[in-house]
Amino acid sequence: MLNNVQLSCFLLSYLTAFGLEVVSIMRASRVARLTAIGFGIAGLVAHTAYLLIRSREVDLPPLLSSTQDWVLVLAWLAVLLYLAIIALDRTLPLGLFLLPVVLTLIGIALFASDDPHSLLANQDGPIAELAKRRWTMLHAASLLVGTCGVLLGFVLSIMYLIQHRRLRQKVNKAPSVALPNLEKLATLNWWSVVVAVPLLTIGLVAGIILGQLSPETTAVFSFTDPTVLAHAVVWIAMAALFYRLLRQRGASGKTVAWQTVWAFGFLIATIVGLELLTGDGRIDSFHSSTPQHQSEAPEVGA
Amino acid sequence: MKLLLVYCNHESAPLEVREHLAFPNVDVLSSAYAAWQRRFPDFECVIISTCNRVEICAATEHPNCDITPQQIAGFLSDFHELPQDDFVSSLRSLEGIDVVRHLFAVTASLDSMVLGEPQIVNQVKDAYRKSQQNRACGPITNLLYQRAVSVSAKIRSDTKLSEGRVSIASVAVGEFGKRIFNRFDDKRVLVIGAGAMAEETLRYLHSEGASNITIVNRSPDRAQNLARDFGGQVAAFDTLDNQLANADVIVSTTGASQPIIDRRRFKTVRKAGNRHTIFILDLGAPRDFAADVGTVDDNVFLYDIDDLKTACNENRKARSAELETAHTIVTEATHRFMQDIHHRGTGPVISRLKREWSDISQQELELLFRKLPHLTDSDRESIQRALERIVNKLLHPPLEALKDEAKDGPPEGLLNAMRRLFQLKD
Repeated sequence: MLNNVQLSCFLLSYLTAFGLEVVSIMRASRVARLTAIGFGIAGLVAHTAYLLIRSREVDLPPLLSSTQDWVLVLAWLAVLLYLAIIALDRTLPLGLFLLPVVLTLIGIALFASDDPHSLLANQDGPIAELAKRRWTMLHAASLLVGTCGVLLGFVLSIMYLIQHRRLRQKVNKAPSVALPNLEKLATLNWWSVVVAVPLLTIGLVAGIILGQLSPETTAVFSFTDPTVLAHAVVWIAMAALFYRLLRQRGASGKTVAWQTVWAFGFLIATIVGLELLTGDGRIDSFHSSTPQHQSEAPEVGA
Repeated sequence: MKLLLVYCNHESAPLEVREHLAFPNVDVLSSAYAAWQRRFPDFECVIISTCNRVEICAATEHPNCDITPQQIAGFLSDFHELPQDDFVSSLRSLEGIDVVRHLFAVTASLDSMVLGEPQIVNQVKDAYRKSQQNRACGPITNLLYQRAVSVSAKIRSDTKLSEGRVSIASVAVGEFGKRIFNRFDDKRVLVIGAGAMAEETLRYLHSEGASNITIVNRSPDRAQNLARDFGGQVAAFDTLDNQLANADVIVSTTGASQPIIDRRRFKTVRKAGNRHTIFILDLGAPRDFAADVGTVDDNVFLYDIDDLKTACNENRKARSAELETAHTIVTEATHRFMQDIHHRGTGPVISRLKREWSDISQQELELLFRKLPHLTDSDRESIQRALERIVNKLLHPPLEALKDEAKDGPPEGLLNAMRRLFQLKD
């Protein structure tokens, strides 16, 4: 109950911050902008407290505890990024683009499973458990930062496409929604994708190794596992984008932006969709929070 | 006196119309003056043709000569071989004092897309000089254009209109170029043409850090001068396609009467290059790039003069506080000019009056000197001076009355009265 109240707290803070960002742009109000930032900071404080409490309750870092917490850490990182960038450039209307993504992630977290992952089921010896825990941390953290990079790339790409459209339509800039120039957006997008893809690769490889380490009594790793398959497809899509970016520095910014948007959409749909489905046990996967294998294990053992 | 102006500008006519009515280079302009003199031999004429306006100012001192806006529209139609229906709705006309007010405002750049821009005064001076070279000027246009330049200088010194972003180039680069590129010091800048607008654009791009500059111009001498001023290089006109393929920023300001780059040519150029982002600023009127060049691919950002309108209006709003002062100066200068012109109209009557009175006094002096032969040269000179002073003092009241009357318009009534009173004959 306490957890739900806290989650609602920062959800409402971010919602208010987003509303104020919209008002500040529509009315060119500096007060509304500062209040939005204030609500953003308040939300981040509540968000941090919530994750710490959750971590203490399950005695695991937030990244490892559950699908819900993993998504919430992703949202937390996005808010941190938003506030850090705003601190550097207050004129950038980043909240208008990033806060809806944060709100969507928190919305997804509301429906995600908060049961601990089966991968960390304590059925091994203390040394094996420590090794597995480290691999899991590497897997979850690399996927998290990689996904955050793609998320940032998505936001930058949306900004790029809006700016591109304005320039092609020869629209004079609206003073309150001054977006960065195309060159800067393309460069930042390039870096976000180029950093994100290796991290996603590390996360995927660590996940495969982790699957191999998992005893059959808790989860069965297979390359035909829907989680592994879906992530592999996403990785291939991201790697193709990565290759294109490295090979063609002068590629059409608009095409790259669209590809990043699609890649992000695909990544989020895959990660979140699979986390939700496997978390609820609707799909049989080694990544499930409450795997069917676990409940069936005694029978197999028998 | 008759003073008539027929014009179209960035507010009354779209670029498509302006470029058809433009007189883009010296040859076309000289032909136009020759055609004018054949058609309207009694009228002085000055033609201003810039990317934002085409104006024909006609003037005459002959009271019996007349000219109408329709006749000037007919001249434009015949000269450019265009049906009048294509452009006549875009034309505006002014007469008398309104012409003076308009010209003073134009020269002071109060009517420009970018308020306070300095190029227009040079363009007006250039137009006036070309009119003189073609012997199309006369007493009225001489006085009018010289006065316009001095009014512009006064506005520039008495107001803050010329501070800040005051050129079409600076607005274009500031509003569009800086939303495309983060910096200009690593960009390859290609300038096509080497006129005043090219120079102004280069000055702004140079101040933004642009250093890799290539200038392509049909006349290499002018290109060399410009390249020397901005540390750029000159390329031959026949290498234009190569230059287009490599450039990041293109500024085009030629005086070509047709687009020099069409879609097909540009598409070939883009195929040869790597289709990188390119910012094209077409400041020519007629345009140097066909409008559909901008649709070749997603990385081409093409802007012409009319695309800068909104940006220029924002710029104008920011300077509107200075406008009131500038318009007050224009109004005062306009009334002073009209007074001078009207006063000039009294010149022949005043001259005749002075000459007749002088003749009479001379005749009387000769009679007196014949009767008094013993007078020394010194005495004669003293008497002559005294008589001249009497004539001048007698002339002073009527001349002052004429001057006062000229403030409100041509003092025809008073001039007729003087003609009758003093029996002055034309």
